[in-house]
Amino acid sequence: MSAPIIKIDGISKSFGTFKVLDGLSMQVMPREKLALIGPSGSGKTTILRILMTLERIDSGHIQIDGEQLYHMERNGQLLAADERHLARMRQKIGMVFQLFNLFPHKSVIDNVTLAPILTKGMPRATAEKRAMELLEMVGMADKAKAMPAQLSGGQKQRVAIARALALQPRIMLFDEVTSALDPELVEEVLNVLWRLCSETDMTMLLVTHEMGFAHDFADRVLFFDRGKIVEEGKPDEIFRNPKQERTQGFLKKIIAAGHRV
Amino acid sequence: MTQWSGYFGLILQGALITIELTLMGSVLALIMAFLAGLGRLSRFFVIRALATAYIEFFRGTSIFVQLFWAYFVLPFIGISLTPLQAGVLALGLNVGAYAAEVVRGAIQSIGREQYEACTALNLGRWQAMRHVILPQALLVMLPTFGNNAIELLKATAVVSLISLTDLTFQAQVVRSQTGNTLVPFTTILIIYFALALIISWGVRSLERRMARGLDGVRV
Repeated sequence: MSAPIIKIDGISKSFGTFKVLDGLSMQVMPREKLALIGPSGSGKTTILRILMTLERIDSGHIQIDGEQLYHMERNGQLLAADERHLARMRQKIGMVFQLFNLFPHKSVIDNVTLAPILTKGMPRATAEKRAMELLEMVGMADKAKAMPAQLSGGQKQRVAIARALALQPRIMLFDEVTSALDPELVEEVLNVLWRLCSETDMTMLLVTHEMGFAHDFADRVLFFDRGKIVEEGKPDEIFRNPKQERTQGFLKKIIAAGHRV
Repeated sequence: MTQWSGYFGLILQGALITIELTLMGSVLALIMAFLAGLGRLSRFFVIRALATAYIEFFRGTSIFVQLFWAYFVLPFIGISLTPLQAGVLALGLNVGAYAAEVVRGAIQSIGREQYEACTALNLGRWQAMRHVILPQALLVMLPTFGNNAIELLKATAVVSLISLTDLTFQAQVVRSQTGNTLVPFTTILIIYFALALIISWGVRSLERRMARGLDGVRV
């Protein structure tokens, strides 16, 4: 049994008086594909944002690949992480956002090459060659010269995935990546996720409302409610035979809303 | 007629001084705008405080007084400036203070999601600013920068008070020598207006060039 690549230990996070995460602990094994489901405000997106260092935790510890994310050891003491430590830790993690967050002033290929050139000092020619391979993989190679504003939502999201992959993270976080898309565009993005899932050995955390996809994609499903993991297990267990009342209630509502499981 | 052409020559010389002042003042204003505008967003209190003090002071006092200070008071502490230097200094610092707020506002208008994408891609603070935030913010700044440049152009008229031979100064010379007010002041009115039009037009075409591709239509 190898060591977990993500180890979350009793973290809490509040926004004002609202406690989003309440002493949450969880572990993720390398290569594991995880689906995080639950009602909005349950804290699942916040976990991804905390792992990407977009939000800070109030208390608790997080280890990525055996190293503290928000703390660093100096002379046997745990200190708050400085920007350099965070930058080193971020190299292991990539994130794709609900609203794509592409850089509107840069062409598709420049969106993909910017970070490798700046953060890894990759020569432009190498970065562009690798970017084209990634764009090929997400089916966007023919739009390499296009500007983001010329693309559909599904195309933007595929570019955003290529952009995150360009830094070769070991962990990828997907935050409701199909929620902002028109229904007919959801599938092209899910197809890309599916390829990543079956062809790479990245650890993937997926926050989603696509229950059918979560079922097929995930090794393990975590159901969140009010900042806690209420239930977790294999997709079949969670979706076909949920034990907790709150999970049952949530899935019933989701199915009533027309999502297939 | 030959006499009038001589006077127009004077006014044209004045126009050159006005243009020179406007250009040099704008360059200084631009530098100050970015220094102070970025300074106000600094992580360090001292830099924020310095930037804020500069902006508030130069917005809160008259350009007229600032100019007299630069030209007549600075010599008392051993800094003697030529009229042109004093003019550029006062104009640049004054307009730069207004433009600094434009820089700050434009940077803050860029959505949080752009900063978050930069963090997720592990760009450093300065890399994010330089490659992602500023290029987008610049487009927001441009129209107001155009306004600032026109304000600066018009403010150059005050330098005639420290004997710099700009448009307004030359118009006064012509007026005192000919006794005619209508011709010289109408002439410089038109020249100021024409210069302002050139600035507007230049800024607008720059804006169009920079916006290319951003809306998905014009590429």
